[in-house]
Amino acid sequence: MKCDKFIEALGQRVKILEVTRQYEDQVTALVELSDLPEAVRFLYYDMGGYLSTMIPNDERSINKHYALYYALSMEGGKMFEGDEIAQDEKCFVTVKVLISPDSLVFPSVTPLVPACVWYEREAYDMFGLIAEGLPDKRRLVLSDDWPDNLFPLRKDAMDYRFRPDMKEHYMEPEYDFLRPDGTGITDIPLGPLHITADEPGHFRLFCDGDTIIDADYRLFYQHRGMEKLAENRMNYDQMGYLAERVCGICGYAHAIACIEAAEKAINLEIPARAQAIRVICSEIERLHSHLLNIGLACEVTGNYNAFMHIFRIREYSMKLAELVTGGRKTYGNVVMGGLRRDMTGIEIKESLRILKIIETQVDEVWDAVMDDQRQMKRWKGVGILDKQVARDFSPVGPNIRGSGIKRDTRYDHPYDFFKQIEFNVDVVEGGDFFAREMVRYMELKSSVSIIRQCFELMPQTPIIIDPTFHVKPENYALAYVEAPRGENVHWIMQGSAQKVFRWRCRAATYNNWPSLRFQFRGNTIADAALIVCSLDPCYSCTERVTVVDIKSKKSKILTNHDLKEFSKTLKNSPMKDLK
Amino acid sequence: MMKLLDISKKYGEITHKYPFEPYKVADNFRGKPAYIYDLCIGCAACGIACPSNAITVAFNDDKSKLIWEFDCGRCIFCGRCDEVCPTGAIKLSEEFELAVKFDKSALIQRGELDVQYCTQCNKPFSAKRLVKYSFECLSKANVSEKRLEEAKNYLCVCPTCKKTATVATFTSGKEMVIE
Repeated sequence: MKCDKFIEALGQRVKILEVTRQYEDQVTALVELSDLPEAVRFLYYDMGGYLSTMIPNDERSINKHYALYYALSMEGGKMFEGDEIAQDEKCFVTVKVLISPDSLVFPSVTPLVPACVWYEREAYDMFGLIAEGLPDKRRLVLSDDWPDNLFPLRKDAMDYRFRPDMKEHYMEPEYDFLRPDGTGITDIPLGPLHITADEPGHFRLFCDGDTIIDADYRLFYQHRGMEKLAENRMNYDQMGYLAERVCGICGYAHAIACIEAAEKAINLEIPARAQAIRVICSEIERLHSHLLNIGLACEVTGNYNAFMHIFRIREYSMKLAELVTGGRKTYGNVVMGGLRRDMTGIEIKESLRILKIIETQVDEVWDAVMDDQRQMKRWKGVGILDKQVARDFSPVGPNIRGSGIKRDTRYDHPYDFFKQIEFNVDVVEGGDFFAREMVRYMELKSSVSIIRQCFELMPQTPIIIDPTFHVKPENYALAYVEAPRGENVHWIMQGSAQKVFRWRCRAATYNNWPSLRFQFRGNTIADAALIVCSLDPCYSCTERVTVVDIKSKKSKILTNHDLKEFSKTLKNSPMKDLK
Repeated sequence: MMKLLDISKKYGEITHKYPFEPYKVADNFRGKPAYIYDLCIGCAACGIACPSNAITVAFNDDKSKLIWEFDCGRCIFCGRCDEVCPTGAIKLSEEFELAVKFDKSALIQRGELDVQYCTQCNKPFSAKRLVKYSFECLSKANVSEKRLEEAKNYLCVCPTCKKTATVATFTSGKEMVIE
């Protein structure tokens, strides 16, 4: 069966204590704690794996231990032609370890596999599990003023009556940014809020003159504790809708991933028509998301004309979603066991008409943008993601496909209806901003073709199967969906009474962030926004105030810290040396 | 650059005149759920199905009325209520202009239903309309006249009294008749 080859090879390296199979392509191997880094490194580099997700879990009520699950997608290194595992052998191998609640320490994998860095930082924030040997032990998810000994995802940790009080903003501790050594380096803070951005994130750019030497960032200002919410008070009917609201753009991919994880944990196969409609809706989402990103790529460089044209076309994709699901953004049709809403013949006919419009108009505008030399100069050679960096950090989606690595969940691990659909994985060499936008443009075209194929091949079956399934406590499974920004991975361990025991939701961008700092290096400040845009979030500049004294023509930049100090003490005015 | 201007010329003005003229949405648009009070039987199916708890069905404080309440601020427009309603009292409309002016209570819609009192203990337990609806369903179900007459009495008894009656039947050995 699938995966056996990898388990056998792993068994020759380290001692495997137990092997369990969750789904036909998912296997978990329990190893000794001391063997963990070697086991993950071996699967990652020697056997050709990419890190999909890592799930810390509080299993004290089950086996008196904490557990870590490193889920690796076995698909081949893909660094050169032919460096790929055969299509029918691709699978997910999970390395599991148990950690005693007395020690709470595990050996860090990050020195061997850099892709683990964020996951291991999060394991401390949420569960208090300490990665021994992790080079970067700062907080990741929780705010800096969070109490030291409160770990929210532990089953016994959070009683809302003991919710910590918020600190006054001036009492907040400062966050340590990783500053490069050297003289003459200027800090440029970007963020956390900006008028055009929906999402806050703080970027600290370290510059020499105009060139970015290094960058560090602080994110998770929007952490809402959805995983805890779902564990505590939601059933599967409600979770699909919550998952859909994880993201404002690729929410549908989260909804499918979440529900499919629950379905896979009990081996539930949904009807073919429901699979096809899930694929259609997720491809419609890809259409509007990629059009949004290409539009913003023009807007960030000041090309408002092209931006408006692309958003005009995007409106057709929103109309398309409205037509087939009844909602422009939240499609709300996924339930466990299938779908809630079917498509009628009239809707399909009208959809095909809209698809035709989108296809021709995208070509027109893209041609015009490509012809614009000034636009191309801003895009080409900016924010290069090196192939080796990409291999080390497991980024996903157009970000990695722009670096010439053929990684696409739809192709590597075909889910739902993708087994029956023919499509090309769009890969562009170069790794710069232009390559990533090119991937997005090519994917727009293949999305249109995928939707058409789905309409053609969609069988006349029911769209939902009788939900007389039995949820089995302690079953778990991974589900993976290629969202517009890359692979979304959800992991669900089922609990009793129609509830989840643990829900780990890993959005695509989570895997893209850690390698962003390498993309910043060597570029100018003017391109910083563009580089961030190529992943799809935003930047900003509220944290600094520039004071200019007109008489002496001197200027000074006040940092967040300066301003805070001054407003607290009202002494040592930062303006006095201007006079 | 010039090519972009040509495209603008080709497609002309595409901006809608909204809000000065209505904006047409697709036929099956999922807008604000519209509530038809006359059809509502107070069965609370919508309240149970609602994933975001926007709909609640509960007695008021002195238990004189059954209150159906919908909070538009919580609604996620999934349409579960529309799906489960047995009488079609709640249907998703095409309405999407939901803003209110500084008054959050304007987001809340309420329906008061008469309560049914239990014939045994005289406590309220359900809506009058639900009891009537259940009886109508039964009378269409090809049940004999005599059984129907029994059901009419039985429907007006609260679950607690039914339980007590069943327990009494088991313990005393003779059937307790509900009148």
